Amino acid sequence: MSAIAFENVSRTPRAGVKGPGAAAWIAALDLPVPRAPNSWLPLPGGLIARLGLTEFLVEGSEAAKLAAPLSPGVYPVLRQDTALVLHGARLNELLLETCSVDFRALNLSTRPVVLTSMAGVGVTVIPGEGGGMPCCRIWCDSTYGEWFVETLTGVAGELEQPGHPCNQGVTA
Amino acid sequence: MRLPPQSGEWIDRSQPLNFRFEGRAYTGFEGDTVASALWASGVSMLGHSFKYHRPRGILSAANHDVNALMQAGGTPNVRADATPLEAGMALTAVNTFGTLERDAGRFLGGFARFLPVGFYYKAFHSKRLFPLWERMFRAMTGLGRVGFATPRLRTPKRYGFCDVLVVGGGPSGLNAALAAAEQGADVVLVDEHARLGGSTHGASDLVDQVTAHPRIRVFTDTFAAGYYADHWVPLVERDRITKMRARAVVVAAGAYEQPAVFRNNDLPGIMFATAAQRLIRRYAVRPAQRVVVLAANADAYRALEAFIDAGIEVAAVIDLRDDVPADQQSVLAALRIPLHTGHCIVEALPANDGKRVAAVRVAAVGAPAPATNITCDGVFMSVGWAPAAPLLYQAGTKMRYDDGVHQFVPDTLPDGVFACGRVNGIHTPAARLLDGERAGSAAAAHCGFGTMKAISVPAEMESPTHPWPIVSHPKGKNFIDFDEDLQLADLENAIQEGFDNIELMKRYSTVGMGPSQGKHSNMNALRVLARATGSTPGEVGTTTARPFFHPVPMSHLAGRGFTPERRTPMHALHTAAGAVWMPAGVWQRPEYYAIAGQSRSKCIEGEAMAVRSGVGLIDVGTLGKLEIRGPQAAEFLERVYISKYAGLKVGMTRYAVMCDESGVVIDDGVVARLADDHFYFTTTTSGAALIYRELSRWNTLWKLDCGIVNLTGAMAAMNLAGPKARAVLAGLTDVDLSFPYLAVREGTVAGVPARLMRVGFVGEWGVEIHVPAEHGAAVWDALMAAGQAHGIRPFGVEAQRLLRLEKGHLIIGQDTDGLTTPGEAALDWAVKMDKPFFVGQRSLQAIAGKPRRQQLVGFMLPAGHAGDAPKECHLVIDNGDIAGRVTSIAWSPSLSRHIGLAYVQSGMAAVGNTLTIRLSDGSLVTAEVVKTPFYDPDNLRQKETT
Repeated sequence: MSAIAFENVSRTPRAGVKGPGAAAWIAALDLPVPRAPNSWLPLPGGLIARLGLTEFLVEGSEAAKLAAPLSPGVYPVLRQDTALVLHGARLNELLLETCSVDFRALNLSTRPVVLTSMAGVGVTVIPGEGGGMPCCRIWCDSTYGEWFVETLTGVAGELEQPGHPCNQGVTA
Repeated sequence: MRLPPQSGEWIDRSQPLNFRFEGRAYTGFEGDTVASALWASGVSMLGHSFKYHRPRGILSAANHDVNALMQAGGTPNVRADATPLEAGMALTAVNTFGTLERDAGRFLGGFARFLPVGFYYKAFHSKRLFPLWERMFRAMTGLGRVGFATPRLRTPKRYGFCDVLVVGGGPSGLNAALAAAEQGADVVLVDEHARLGGSTHGASDLVDQVTAHPRIRVFTDTFAAGYYADHWVPLVERDRITKMRARAVVVAAGAYEQPAVFRNNDLPGIMFATAAQRLIRRYAVRPAQRVVVLAANADAYRALEAFIDAGIEVAAVIDLRDDVPADQQSVLAALRIPLHTGHCIVEALPANDGKRVAAVRVAAVGAPAPATNITCDGVFMSVGWAPAAPLLYQAGTKMRYDDGVHQFVPDTLPDGVFACGRVNGIHTPAARLLDGERAGSAAAAHCGFGTMKAISVPAEMESPTHPWPIVSHPKGKNFIDFDEDLQLADLENAIQEGFDNIELMKRYSTVGMGPSQGKHSNMNALRVLARATGSTPGEVGTTTARPFFHPVPMSHLAGRGFTPERRTPMHALHTAAGAVWMPAGVWQRPEYYAIAGQSRSKCIEGEAMAVRSGVGLIDVGTLGKLEIRGPQAAEFLERVYISKYAGLKVGMTRYAVMCDESGVVIDDGVVARLADDHFYFTTTTSGAALIYRELSRWNTLWKLDCGIVNLTGAMAAMNLAGPKARAVLAGLTDVDLSFPYLAVREGTVAGVPARLMRVGFVGEWGVEIHVPAEHGAAVWDALMAAGQAHGIRPFGVEAQRLLRLEKGHLIIGQDTDGLTTPGEAALDWAVKMDKPFFVGQRSLQAIAGKPRRQQLVGFMLPAGHAGDAPKECHLVIDNGDIAGRVTSIAWSPSLSRHIGLAYVQSGMAAVGNTLTIRLSDGSLVTAEVVKTPFYDPDNLRQKETT
């Protein structure tokens, strides 16, 4: 089994809104609103993430609710992201080789959302854990998607090489 | 010279390794370095020096022996004193002409008097002789050979994180790491050597505690190469770089042992006392049979026992000090070793073959003549230390010269940076442990773990460093800098020639500029300067070693990097259609579509003619695509673009030019009004990300009631253009295609929601079709299928550049530069100075009354022009002076003429004026200034509606 598994979930329904009225508008749609900026909440079959103060991403079947008529101060955001789910024992090493954020220092119980750069590409990341292994969801602009996936899989492949430094007993 | 097994030795005697050096076969052990294996095999000449090609051996055995660099296959400059021995290695010394034994470069030593200090400056001063010297220096200098066929290594770079980073695995660093970890901090400890323990591989209990501690991660064979803001320290490992972000840094980097300066102090066999101890304890190598120890501190006496235990005969201890403390003298008495206090080595004498020290001449310090010869095959120097402080300097530490220990020590440390051990001026073993504990505790407390322990570290009772370990000699060859073969007289001459400040002296003499970066020469050099100028070392000061202060392999620096690449949703379709790709900023775009049997230019011309006479389709999804909504959306656009948009009717578009605050054109695009409070607009391909950021910044500042959404990646876009374009589109859309030029409509194309904008960039009836990215490929396929009957061709960037040039349309960034104003770019018509405000307006007002520097004009070469045509960036010449430059030029198949755009001085811009353009070969061609557009000047083709 590969040390890091990649799952492309780009086809999952997703929608977004932004603007000063976005939080109230979402609440009026009976969707939960993450209280803290850069945090997320689970939805039935999906999630809602608050990106900064006034932007929201809804993924899963509940995304359809965002087709409702807009209120003042609410602007729709067309989401055409490349979306990935990564998990595996070597995921943290992959993140260390591609991103300057210390994901292991995050408190997952606060459901953090990280807006950062990975391999030079702007990404939104939700780190997590599943089955005792680290995992994360990553969204990026779909025009970077092919290159981004190629790059991450390339780095992940190197991590599995016996000669890679991370396989020689040194960890950080 | 291999010793019986030593306690804690690093070699594995069960693993012999065969290797070759200079063509001869040798055997070492797993755990050896190249240098230790050679020394154990009786090889003491490991290389030749840089300038005079003098024999050199082991000096530090601590990764600083730059005269023992070797070529290992395709890898140049392998450090023999630090590189682990591997089976099958085939090594040669670098910097030899021929072999190490028969190095033709050795004759240079005889020409020393013709190679004075500042030789480079003096040689290159003559312009006439410059080429001669350059050829000579290029032939004679340089270390190692670069193998151009060497495959690129994708050496990884990675990030790392910790609370406390401890640099240095000696006693103080070990104790600092333990103290910090015990208080709860996550600690990373790095050491440049293969194992922890410090310069003499002691402190084994501490090492065990550290390696077993759950909160301490250890990086050995790793050096901290620099310090960057916010405690960011690159850790260079053998196979990767880790960019370690710490919350606090403890510098326990120790000190570099310093050489004494006397004639022939570079002969193989003369080494630091710590080097001798490393050879003995780590590699079980006896460094010499009979040695003289040159001492000036307690460290020398502490090491004697190890030398005796290794079976070395210590012929004498020569101590530079007049007064040697009784406890140190008693060591000698017990070992029956003669002691010469207040004495120095005046000269080392070589063996007959010149490859090793054979004796030393000893005299009283300051005495006029040597008095005693002592036979020996080794000299172990222990006369002082220089702090390994580059990280501290780079972190912004204020250092001061401490007369008590004769070294620079930290005076004021930056927040979160701590120092301990020898680098902190603490040399006594017990005190170093205490100092480490103090610093580690303080660092942990800085990060919020526990409270800082109150630990008092006793001051040094005597200086571990001699203030003047330098002996002059009339015949010279008393080296201060082993990297550059700089002698005492060289520095004295440099000072006499006026280079009497540390920075000037460094550059003029090149002291400290070799591969070891002055680790063994800077302190003695500044002492020489201080004495010559009547200053103190503290007043002379030091130079700062910039990061990376220790050489980093090119494989690391040029290792894996990320260069992101954007691809539109139609990328695979373009590839299938034969696209030849070109980068356009971060995007990949089809330059043209290759057709078997046709040249590049023929393909491009064919694509252009398809648009002119039939129909073509180009992917313009790389344009920036933004949306702005809200009651004040129009007001926002009024402020950021130079034209007016408040009055733009719903359903219409308008060309848009953006300036920065200095009135320079930075971007252009098209603004479409979809509703009173809703605009959709495009930016240039290269400006997409930057313009979105800039507009977001303005929106934050202005707090207007509107919001901007970046749809660049979310929308695919394509431009269908040509006289047959409408026929192609008609069957695929529900939009009435009689809508006028510059209008925008929303509807469907191939069943997909789409925005259609009538545009004229390429000068034919054309529609930009914008659809959600997920549908881009389907819509492209549908258009291409519908266009088959009309001879549709996809066209690439080059055909588009030609077509727009025929229309005289400029490309921002190609036909403008970082100083171009709208007026200069012939965009005056777009500037609406009567608006209350727009970005750049005040600057344009300020220059409005001033003469225009240059003007963009169209030009044409004469009909039937033969020979080469100008190229982009060729210069316009007027009376021998530069009067402008060509920004765009192409052969127009529609007009059968070379056409172009050029900036010229304002006085030359009149239509009909003749321009002279200089080609690359210096020849001149003439062109005529003409009105644009070159093609369809009344724009009838793009405007037609039926």
